Amino acid sequence: MPVNTGLADISNDFLLTAVVIYALAMLAYACDFAYGKKKLPALRTAKASAVVAVEPAPEEAALVGAKPAATAGGTPPVVGTPSTGGGAAAASGDSSSGDAAGVGLRGVIKGVPDRESLGRWVTIAVVLTSLGLAAHLSGVVLRGLSVHRLPWGDMYEFVTALTCVAVAFFLGVMIRYRAYYLGLFVMAAVVLVLGLAETVIYTPAGPLVPALQSYWLAIHVTAMTLATGVFFVAAVIGIAYLFVDRHARRVAAGRPTGSDGILRRLPGPEVLDRLAYRTVVFGFPIWTFGVMAGAIWADRAWGSYWSWDPTETWAFITWVVYACFLHARATAGWRGRRAAYIQLTGFACLLFNVLVISLLVPGLHSYAGLT
Amino acid sequence: MTWLRNPPEAKPDAQAAEAAGLDTTLASDGRATTAEGLRHAAADIQDAAAEGLRHAAADVQDATPEGHRDAAATPHPAGLSLGVVGWLRWGWRQLTSMRTALVLLFLLAAGSVPGSLLPQEGTNPASVAQYYSSHPVLARVLGDLGLFNVFGAPWFAAIYILLFTSLVGCVLPRTLRLVGSARQPPPRAPGNLSRLPFAVSYATPLAPEAALESAAKALSGKRFRLRTGPGWVSAEKGYLREVGNLLFHMALLGLLVSIGLGGLFGYKADRLLVTGTSFANTVTALDEFHPGRLVGPDNLQPFTVALDRFSASYVTSGTLVGQPAAFNAKIRYSASPGDAMHSYDLAVNHPLIVDGARVFLIGHGYAPEFRITDGTGRVVFDGAVPFVPVETTGLVSEGAIKVPDANPKGLGFVGVFLPSAIDVGGKLESYFPAPNNPMVSLVSYAGNLGMNSGPSQSVYSLDTAGLHELAVSPKPLAIGQSVKLPNGLGTLTYTGYRQWISLAITYDPGQSAALWSGIAVLAGLLLSFMVRRRRVFVRASTDETGNTIVDLGGLTRSDAAGGFEDEFAGLATEISGLHQASIDASPSPDPGLEAADRTDREGSGPSSHQGSGPSSPDQSDPPDPEQSAGE
Repeated sequence: MPVNTGLADISNDFLLTAVVIYALAMLAYACDFAYGKKKLPALRTAKASAVVAVEPAPEEAALVGAKPAATAGGTPPVVGTPSTGGGAAAASGDSSSGDAAGVGLRGVIKGVPDRESLGRWVTIAVVLTSLGLAAHLSGVVLRGLSVHRLPWGDMYEFVTALTCVAVAFFLGVMIRYRAYYLGLFVMAAVVLVLGLAETVIYTPAGPLVPALQSYWLAIHVTAMTLATGVFFVAAVIGIAYLFVDRHARRVAAGRPTGSDGILRRLPGPEVLDRLAYRTVVFGFPIWTFGVMAGAIWADRAWGSYWSWDPTETWAFITWVVYACFLHARATAGWRGRRAAYIQLTGFACLLFNVLVISLLVPGLHSYAGLT
Repeated sequence: MTWLRNPPEAKPDAQAAEAAGLDTTLASDGRATTAEGLRHAAADIQDAAAEGLRHAAADVQDATPEGHRDAAATPHPAGLSLGVVGWLRWGWRQLTSMRTALVLLFLLAAGSVPGSLLPQEGTNPASVAQYYSSHPVLARVLGDLGLFNVFGAPWFAAIYILLFTSLVGCVLPRTLRLVGSARQPPPRAPGNLSRLPFAVSYATPLAPEAALESAAKALSGKRFRLRTGPGWVSAEKGYLREVGNLLFHMALLGLLVSIGLGGLFGYKADRLLVTGTSFANTVTALDEFHPGRLVGPDNLQPFTVALDRFSASYVTSGTLVGQPAAFNAKIRYSASPGDAMHSYDLAVNHPLIVDGARVFLIGHGYAPEFRITDGTGRVVFDGAVPFVPVETTGLVSEGAIKVPDANPKGLGFVGVFLPSAIDVGGKLESYFPAPNNPMVSLVSYAGNLGMNSGPSQSVYSLDTAGLHELAVSPKPLAIGQSVKLPNGLGTLTYTGYRQWISLAITYDPGQSAALWSGIAVLAGLLLSFMVRRRRVFVRASTDETGNTIVDLGGLTRSDAAGGFEDEFAGLATEISGLHQASIDASPSPDPGLEAADRTDREGSGPSSHQGSGPSSPDQSDPPDPEQSAGE
């Protein structure tokens, strides 16, 4: 079937619109940091509250609100609450017992998210992110309709699809964990990557080369796209962790910290570390599956399920480095910053594979569509 | 041996261990353990004096997903007094430690890098040869290091064999321990449940025994394994996590074995096949043959393949013009000589499977046909010569025709085939890969082709050392045109063209084992990430006012996917709800004491117990400050 160039053009318009909306969303997240409600930690002792008797798992408490880095270890029973947050300040602990286990249970069962209002800038930012995602998704879907196949057959399509996954996954994480503080960083990275995709590696819509005409494209590349999107978010969290952790160390050591407007509003390092870990845990099986699906496809297309093609090799290296990360987090002396560096190394390997190996090193995977 | 590892969020804190007064050589379950591990355990559980909790924490840590111990937790040999056995044991411990495994994993990743950046013998021998000629000194060094055959190099094998040895050394004992723990009941409930990471407490007028009984019922309804004692219930669930973890690591081992199986008993081969010809799968008929170590010429499946027709279609308009759209090869094959021939459409992503061996379409090209008569008028060559594509947009192909036996002189031709020839400013190019205007441009040579001496030559190129070029015209030939060679050396006629395909033939007996291992790898991974091993404890006791205080505590380790907090909250809600319901159903289990309380409760709604239960003093104690002091 011929390529529907009209649809392809509309797809391009949608994607450009998405970049613009994402940029606006990024601005809104930045405005929240600059002008949004100040979230100050409120210390509360156990006696003052009907609920806080048992220390919640630190990350749970801190995921709730903005728990300052310095106290995130959980020294006294602290529940981070936004003290100026629209009258909901004191409600955090009480609401958690009420929501979670019926009134009357003493002890914090879990960190139930505050139901305080989001603040104007965050609301605007989330709406813009959702709008941008809608445009982004429309662009990807229309691209697929214009070429009558799944829209991840070349490098440009792969990048637009994986950023779409990253934004959707990030929206999920953000809503599930109320991690609005990540918005600025994720959006900045998405705008950059998608902008580069539109300008540098744009490839016009067209049919697939015969090697890619297989239903395994749907399985293998979809899994790789999903996993890459998830690892993308994990890497952003990992970078945020490194900054917050450095800040927390400086505060702990009593050294001057300079401007900390943004860092103070991020959750503690433990929270980010745990969030990054869970994100990787989510992405790792998808990546494993994607590599295996690729091996099965390679077996059907090229006659060998593993031939150490450069792209395969780097997918393997990426897998091993993420496996290192998962093991390192359970090994003394390797947790924290070192584990975060390993995670970022894994993502660097992934990026190297996508950007350098696929484009420059000849191999069986040379489908980038660029000359 | 209890291999305690640091729980992910534990803070190494020697003070806590000292404060807890732990025996650092023997855990209370009788298995020797080491100081650091227990110290972490102590820091983590904060109340290590509670013996039951120590059991709980130690055992739950056993259930962490990653199999290795910390090297730091293994004692170093004290001097040379250990003897050979001691040193061997120490070495084994080092090898099977988590740190060593991590380092080996890193080495595996780092060692793979040159395999992707340098040309490899296995996949691209021509590029390796080219590298040798362009960087002779560097190439020799790299070659000696095995960097042109990384994935077959001894040092690479050493890395993964050590890694897998390390893995076995850790998976086997863990399997035994898993079997052991599955046969033991859960540990006893610790004394003070409020110290657990998840805890909740409430008062109920129900008698402690009744409260425990309904709690136990609820927990066993959720398929927890139960153990009960005076005033407590302890429940455990999630053994599948460790099963998944072990399955994952064993399946990786299975994958390695499967790959080895393919390397021993499988083979790979290539064959170029011109339209209208056929070949039998024998060693002599194959262009390239890479047998496994235990494969002989007799082990090849004796099938025959004939190529009737090959068709390729390309994008004809737009920016991607010339990009291939479909390839199809009409072939006939028979499983063994003399068998009936079957038709088959061979395509990319659609291999032919005969007798366990598979035949893939991996490439295609043109084979122009020539008829050459020599100076004596004898036809010395008549046939198709496969040319190799040198670029993809117009499929310009190059090749050589060699007629060493022509008289009076041997003849050689180097040619370019242009499927869609077009003259661009006096230079011939091909604008499209399909044969719209198939022309051939040749350079003719005469002399000694040197084919009966010296090193073997490629069939696609001509060694012009012993040859001299002939001036001939016209240069580009259309089908049917001829060139007359000067000095009566002969005539060449370009009679037409055929298409050829290149086939990859592979046989890998380890393939299905590899597939099943891969499935097991994934299943194990998902189990170990999605299942969490967790314990829930219930204690019920009567306080001074006669009310029953129910304490619930929960403990989990490496809750990778998260969600225990939700589960614990759900359990707490369910158990407290059950207690409430049993009060409602059977009024006044203890009428004298509870009447006033019940009135209170009814006044404030069915689920509000909070007014009736006095706080127990330790509920309001701040948690052990030492927990964070360590950071």
